[in-house]
Amino acid sequence: MEHRWGMAIDLDRCTGCEACVVACHAENNLPISNPDQAAKGRTAHWIRIDRYYEGEFPDVKVKYMPVLCQHCDDAPCEPVCPVYATYHNPEGLNVQVYNRRVGTFYCANNCPYTVRYFNWFAPEWPEPLQLQHNPDVAVRMAGVMEKCTFCIQRIKRSKEDAAQEGRPLADGDVRPACVQSCPAEAMVFGDLNDPESNVSRLAQNGRATHLLEELGTKPKVFYLHKVK
Amino acid sequence: MYLIGEFRDKAAVRTAICMLRAGGLSSVDLDLFSEEPVEFPQGVLDRPSRMSLAAVAGAVVCGLLATAFVYWTQHNYKLVTGGMPVFSFWATGVITYEMTMLGAIVSTFGWFLWESGVIRKRDKSAPVPDVDPGSICLRVRCRAEEAALASEVMSRSGAIGIERRGEA
Amino acid sequence: MTTAPELLPYSRIREDLFRPLSGISRSYLLATLAALVIGAAGLVAWGYQLRRGMGVTGLQRPVFWGFYIVDFVFWIGISHAGTLISAILRLIDAAWRKPVTRAAEAITVFALMIGGMFPIIHLGRAWLFYWLLPYPNARMIWPNFRSPLLWDLTAIVTYMTGSVIYLYLPLIPDVAQLAKHNMTWRRALYRALSLGWTGSDREWHALERAMKLMACIILAVAVSVHTVVAWDFSMALAPMWHSTIFGPYFVAGAIFSGIAALLVVLAALRKILHLELYLTQRHFHNLAKLLLLMSLLWFYFTVAENLTVWYGNEPKEMAVFGARTRAHYAPYFWATVFLNFVVPFVLLSVRRLRTIATATVASVSVLVGMWLERFVIVVPTLANPRLAAASSLYTPTWVEIAITAATFAAMVMMYLVFSKLFPIIAVWEFKPHKEEED
Repeated sequence: MEHRWGMAIDLDRCTGCEACVVACHAENNLPISNPDQAAKGRTAHWIRIDRYYEGEFPDVKVKYMPVLCQHCDDAPCEPVCPVYATYHNPEGLNVQVYNRRVGTFYCANNCPYTVRYFNWFAPEWPEPLQLQHNPDVAVRMAGVMEKCTFCIQRIKRSKEDAAQEGRPLADGDVRPACVQSCPAEAMVFGDLNDPESNVSRLAQNGRATHLLEELGTKPKVFYLHKVK
Repeated sequence: MYLIGEFRDKAAVRTAICMLRAGGLSSVDLDLFSEEPVEFPQGVLDRPSRMSLAAVAGAVVCGLLATAFVYWTQHNYKLVTGGMPVFSFWATGVITYEMTMLGAIVSTFGWFLWESGVIRKRDKSAPVPDVDPGSICLRVRCRAEEAALASEVMSRSGAIGIERRGEA
Repeated sequence: MTTAPELLPYSRIREDLFRPLSGISRSYLLATLAALVIGAAGLVAWGYQLRRGMGVTGLQRPVFWGFYIVDFVFWIGISHAGTLISAILRLIDAAWRKPVTRAAEAITVFALMIGGMFPIIHLGRAWLFYWLLPYPNARMIWPNFRSPLLWDLTAIVTYMTGSVIYLYLPLIPDVAQLAKHNMTWRRALYRALSLGWTGSDREWHALERAMKLMACIILAVAVSVHTVVAWDFSMALAPMWHSTIFGPYFVAGAIFSGIAALLVVLAALRKILHLELYLTQRHFHNLAKLLLLMSLLWFYFTVAENLTVWYGNEPKEMAVFGARTRAHYAPYFWATVFLNFVVPFVLLSVRRLRTIATATVASVSVLVGMWLERFVIVVPTLANPRLAAASSLYTPTWVEIAITAATFAAMVMMYLVFSKLFPIIAVWEFKPHKEEED
């Protein structure tokens, strides 16, 4: 059976600690922006924590929302790319082919979630961070767009491991860096085609919604929160 | 052989052409030279044109070829984007339209080159008169025995000068 | 009262219109030099951008399209001068068009060359622009024809081919004349370009027929080109871009700015080449009336676009609308309304005010206004994406400004060269062209 990867994020559990952001940086060789560039909005975080404030000072409530690529089934970013640098793979992932990119920025404009990040310059890492690059992930060159891949390298590794051990891939075998590092266990990753998987059950849960559901992009990330 | 008659006004040329054609010369043998377009109503110097047809044919052919090409390339390497079908007619309709128009443009230009005769100077030996501004030259291709008659017709209709060129 | 140019002796017309081709004045050299320097500065800026990366621009998440796309839309818009003026006026056989058409067609070709550069300048990896072309390649992949950028590419290629041919066809009789009268090194150039034109009636016939057909085709293409440019935006799901009005709105805006560009160019040519006899009050009057008409049409579209958004009051769209009309981008928006509507309306709707000078002033105002309008369309939408937490602001850098300035210099330079090589008014079209008899 083909996989269809998805994720559930429990907003009621999220504390906004940004451990997922750091883990993603380490796992996916994300370039580190200098303060200058960061002030210009040139940071690259494949997962980011959006903050929304409710109420008036001093009675303010902060809401956190981790936003990453929603891996939409009908992704608006895909058809606008003239060179197929982003397309839908058979497992439902919205994948990136860095080598094909020419840098038209169109995909990023057409992403309602604004989760695409551009390499404005050749990537840089302050010493000694260049020593901790993940060998499984390509370092992207200047001029290409990038975004969350659901840690496709981990999916592949898990599949290979399972094949070598001669067993089917079990639920929970694949854990993207953000999921693995979440101390509140707010994030769950798994196969939506497997009705028994944890993520499928959470998706059936009455608390599950999509981000910007009204756009009809059919995202594969579910947000769980208390229904009022 | 060729006769070249020089005229000052259009009406005279028109009379000459009508008389020459009545005298048995075909409009293929007649050529006008001028520094401006000279137009006559139907039946004087008919130059049938297939340019519109060529434009439409070029448009249809190019549009179909482009659509077929898009269809083939999309199926050649099947990649799904945005949940659209592999060959999505509406998403590539603009390509079909633009290529249809390109076909019309290119075939119009090609047909212009052909019909105006600039790319097929059939008869390089045919003399080309030097036209003074404002005058119109009528070149008549005829057999030697017709030359006298043709020349008389032209001078009667108002030619200010007639020249014989080329061998019979 | 001056003689209508149609009644002047042909030799005089020819002399008048061929004269600008010979001799190079001091001011011509200075203008060319200035254009070269500004153009070179733009090239340096582009080189710097290629070397360092797109980070040298003011672009940032989420404003991924900025000055370059604004320039692209603006120049493609300017390119509608030629087709509209020349094709429509040719089709309805308006006699006053004659001294105006070639200048307009030349604007089209040059503006397209410039506009066509911007999608490449804007690429993150500009050296790989040819990956958008369908050719068998080592990547074993064809381009994605579903992308509006591919639509753009085909539309611009078609429009470019059509406009070049449309400019070239009526040039043939003139270059044939030039080849006859010219003894310098240019003779070979003119002779090659004239394709052995002899002035026979077959040639004239084919030319007139081809021009009529081309006028029809190029009109259909021109409308589609700017519609496709508009669809680059309206195919995206972004608030205030995803709108059905964009196609006609952009086409109207393009024609509007095209007429303005033509008026500015004609005013300059008239002064510099001393064509007062040929480009008369009448031409400016008629074009100014067209400009006024388009200004009203533009205003109508702008009201239609913004009123529906405001009345609908949808939060995501209102964020963009607010940024446009009340917040950061409000000065640009209201300047747009002032420059595109108030100025031309006041200057051109009062008969007594409608002179060559005011028409030129109104046109410059419209050109600035239309550039700003594209900016107001492109940037506020991107700066206010659907997830409000990702909003941002955009300020251009010197690189973008230098490249933008360079394109204006490039336009001036191409026009300078063109007006030295070819008569800017179609000489042969001036000949009395009596109606057909019977």
